[in-house]
Amino acid sequence: MTVKESQLEGQTGLWGKFVNFLNGIGFSPFGLVLLIVIAVMPNFEPFSQEYVLRWMIMGAFLAAQSVAFDFTAGYINIVNFGFAALLGLGAYTSGIFANTTPFLLFAPGLNPWLTIWLGAIMAGLVGFLLGVLTLRLRGIFAAVMAWFVGIALMGLVNNLTELTRGPLGMNPRKFLDTPDNLPYFYIILIMMVGIYITLKLVTRSNIGLAFKAIGQNPDAAKASGINPTKYLVFNFTLSAFFAGLLGGFYAHYFGSLTPSTLMHTSKTVEVLAIAYIGGRGSLWGGIAVAFPFIFFIEYLRSNFTNLPGLHLVIYGVLMILIMIYYPDGLSGAYHWLVGKIKGLLGLKKEQAET
Amino acid sequence: MAKEQIAAPKTQEGFTTWLKDNLPVVIVSVFSLALLIAVYIKGGPPQIFNILVTGGMWSLLATGLALVFGVMNIPHFAHGESFMVGAFVGYFVFNPLNQILFENPNPLLKVTAPILAILAAGAVGAVLGVIIERIIFAPLRHRTKQGWVMNAFLLTVGISFVLTNGTTLVLGPNFRGIPRFYDVDAVELAGAFIAVDRIMATAIALVTIALLWFFLRQTRTGRAIRAVSQDETGAQLVGINLDFIHTLTFSLATATAAISGASLLFMFQAYPTVGVTPLYFSWYVVMLVGLGNIAGAIVGGFIVALLQSSTQLFIGLSWQSVVPTVVMILVLVMAPSGLFGSEVKGVQEQ
Repeated sequence: MTVKESQLEGQTGLWGKFVNFLNGIGFSPFGLVLLIVIAVMPNFEPFSQEYVLRWMIMGAFLAAQSVAFDFTAGYINIVNFGFAALLGLGAYTSGIFANTTPFLLFAPGLNPWLTIWLGAIMAGLVGFLLGVLTLRLRGIFAAVMAWFVGIALMGLVNNLTELTRGPLGMNPRKFLDTPDNLPYFYIILIMMVGIYITLKLVTRSNIGLAFKAIGQNPDAAKASGINPTKYLVFNFTLSAFFAGLLGGFYAHYFGSLTPSTLMHTSKTVEVLAIAYIGGRGSLWGGIAVAFPFIFFIEYLRSNFTNLPGLHLVIYGVLMILIMIYYPDGLSGAYHWLVGKIKGLLGLKKEQAET
Repeated sequence: MAKEQIAAPKTQEGFTTWLKDNLPVVIVSVFSLALLIAVYIKGGPPQIFNILVTGGMWSLLATGLALVFGVMNIPHFAHGESFMVGAFVGYFVFNPLNQILFENPNPLLKVTAPILAILAAGAVGAVLGVIIERIIFAPLRHRTKQGWVMNAFLLTVGISFVLTNGTTLVLGPNFRGIPRFYDVDAVELAGAFIAVDRIMATAIALVTIALLWFFLRQTRTGRAIRAVSQDETGAQLVGINLDFIHTLTFSLATATAAISGASLLFMFQAYPTVGVTPLYFSWYVVMLVGLGNIAGAIVGGFIVALLQSSTQLFIGLSWQSVVPTVVMILVLVMAPSGLFGSEVKGVQEQ
């Protein structure tokens, strides 16, 4: 049996090895092609225009957020309702360290490339504490607790005016001196792919299995020897770490931070909607949805300026419809389609084997 | 010998066992009383009346939340939007009436206009509740019960998002408020001047809670609601129509939130995101006392108002979003299912 399998692999040769490698890091050949298309797109008209590039950056930013969000929501089935606040915490930490260095008063601030990691660590630390705090609580308690912690973080940012300038907003310096958007697009794209591959590798391992077990039934998972505490805290920490990293990107790309535009609960809901429409527990679903969505939304926003908030209503309605009638989301639809096609092809294969 | 051993502790340590059983309640009462005295010394009678007004409102809102969670296992996140709808209905009913009154004064209408506005808000809220339950929760409930609590929670998040942004779309982000319901002088009570509107808002909150309590305890339908919250299958076996009970419960919760939105129009102007603060504080109440605990929610509303008022007095208004989180963390770390506990099946399931 094993000989046959290895023979089969040998037969497919280099291409087979390549596909196996891709599968190992969480890509299908089709997905890779799409990613390359997205990566190359900004070099051609009309996507090379600066405003379209900005949309693409927002799309990649939203996509990366949805990956980090889905890592918690889709696997251990706890909605981190303070996600946007953790992202904001990372953004503010990075921004503060990049502008002024609190402990080295003579230094003109650290390099943003370094501070985004400080922001990520800070957010990861709070994520760790949040995990420790909520591990005694069940699903909905944990979600509401995360929400409260998020609101408290926003309150802190509003109140610590000496560091953050409060509601006035602060202006962290940018990564690069150029006014071009193209370099930033590649920065966020690399971040997105990096986060995706890291989290995919984690979920592919035994840890991912433990996450799924905890998400489906914590008691059964506990009975079969999984320590929910350890995995829950690990999951929260990693998700928050990447949220903080993305916050750092936001800070040094836009160069302006205000608590209400960054840390508000409605920002979490936007990410949540993307992740759920994409399909929970897939990680890539959010990426696939985010790009078309950004274009759709910007189209609505520029063509229906007399109807502010129309895109948000559509967000919400879509999310409700998908939750009621098709909870698998886009990734579920994709797997269904692939299954159908494989079923048609597989029939032939079986006949050949017999 | 054995009998004595069993009987003895009851008589001798009666007080200690009672204390052990009711420790959370005792601690909370002692702490609240101390805080109340501190607030009274610092702020005087006006602060105490303030606590009554806000406490009544949080109680009413939290009761709705507790009811929906207890009976339907829905962590209702669109409760603030019911409040918002109530505020808008109250405004759009009261303002024309006020205009009519301005042109031709009528003493009877002058007294009843606010009541009419609040009742209209309650009616619209009830209808809205029925619509939401029928078109959103009923299909999901009939399809699958798996992961219900989390799915329902996310659905209410979606509803809240749609209602808030839909209102912005239709009515714009403008503030619509009224200066007062009753254009009369403030009443003097214990050395403090209190506006009639505030007294009325508190009275409406308390009366609504009392009616709700009576309905749940004394009527046949109310008992059916409680039966469903205890055991859904059992309730179905004795012939209770689950669909009807669920719709009624949701409708009741929405209506009470709308009533409180309308009766507080003089404090909270109507605008699309007005529901955020009421939602936040009503969730604070139910998390503190234990999800689904209706009696706890009524008491908890006043405790939260007291905490809020003391934060304002002793720490500063700008820390009002940080202090509740700290308090909640402390309480939930010590008592993971809330101060007074919750016996809701949904909490155990998910």
